[in-house]
Amino acid sequence: MAAAEAAIKIRTAMEQLRSQGVRERPLVEVLSLSHQMADAMQAFFGSLDKSIIGEFKYLADFIQKARDEIAGLQANDIRTTRIPGASVELDAVVRDTEKATESIMAEAEKLMATEPTDLAAYKAEVDAAMMRIFEHCSFQDLTGQRVNKVISTLRHIEERVTKFASALGVTDAAKEETVDEARKRELLLNGPAMNGPATTQDDIDALFA
Amino acid sequence: MAVDLSMPVLVVDDYQTMIRIIRNLLNQLGFKNIEEAKDGKQALEKLNAGKFGLVISDWNMEPMTGYELLQQVRSSDKLKTTPFIMVTAESKTENVIAAKKAGVNNYIVKPFNAETLKGKLKAVLGEF
Repeated sequence: MAAAEAAIKIRTAMEQLRSQGVRERPLVEVLSLSHQMADAMQAFFGSLDKSIIGEFKYLADFIQKARDEIAGLQANDIRTTRIPGASVELDAVVRDTEKATESIMAEAEKLMATEPTDLAAYKAEVDAAMMRIFEHCSFQDLTGQRVNKVISTLRHIEERVTKFASALGVTDAAKEETVDEARKRELLLNGPAMNGPATTQDDIDALFA
Repeated sequence: MAVDLSMPVLVVDDYQTMIRIIRNLLNQLGFKNIEEAKDGKQALEKLNAGKFGLVISDWNMEPMTGYELLQQVRSSDKLKTTPFIMVTAESKTENVIAAKKAGVNNYIVKPFNAETLKGKLKAVLGEF
């Protein structure tokens, strides 16, 4: 804008000099040269302004898109509702499983300690204990439903995060190993393998043969 | 020589249910003197304080794992000859090899049955 104003002022000054009949060559030439320079600067700064405006517009669009994506991520819903909800469900799964296991083992231990002196009474006791064990096994239906709710929450979070990362072109940064991760690696804490043991008991036995 | 079924056996696991399962199986096999510890640290304290004929330990426990317990046992003059069986869900070959190198006598992968436990006890202790 400063270049444009300078060009206007120089042009105005030249017109005034001409209208006043000033004909001194050096002064007119200096003003003419200044006019050319001001025009050139105006063109330069004009193009610069346009490119900066373009950059700012791109940044503004990107920030708006990021805000839309963050809003779509529903981070507050995930933090305040979905993850605590999943945590409560998993706690209940652990609690129900422990309770059922405890009950089933108690029935089994009671039977093992029973002396079968009176066979009819012993059979009646075994039958009753078996029925109670079946009842305790009903925990699986409830825990199955709870686990499905947790899986649904994890899928929801996975979808949102995937969409967010894809929309913003996010790539994973290099990550330093934490102390806990290093400990797990050094102590070979891999946990149970999916779909049965990674190495079968027969293969393990072969290593000890 | 017959196995002394009255010898103290230390079962180490952070899950009480698993300790109970192993205790019941050992009882069925005739072992009556069974003690328990919830992690490697507590187990090491009990081992140093008493005299045990066998250790049956899980791997994945805090603050001291079964693998660390095994290393401590094998590096102790008092405990280094104590039979040690690992009973664990850690079933990668690297785990088995590491445990064997550290001096484990046998290795049982969870879930296991009574016959497997009995077989490994016989392999480590002899017939009973």
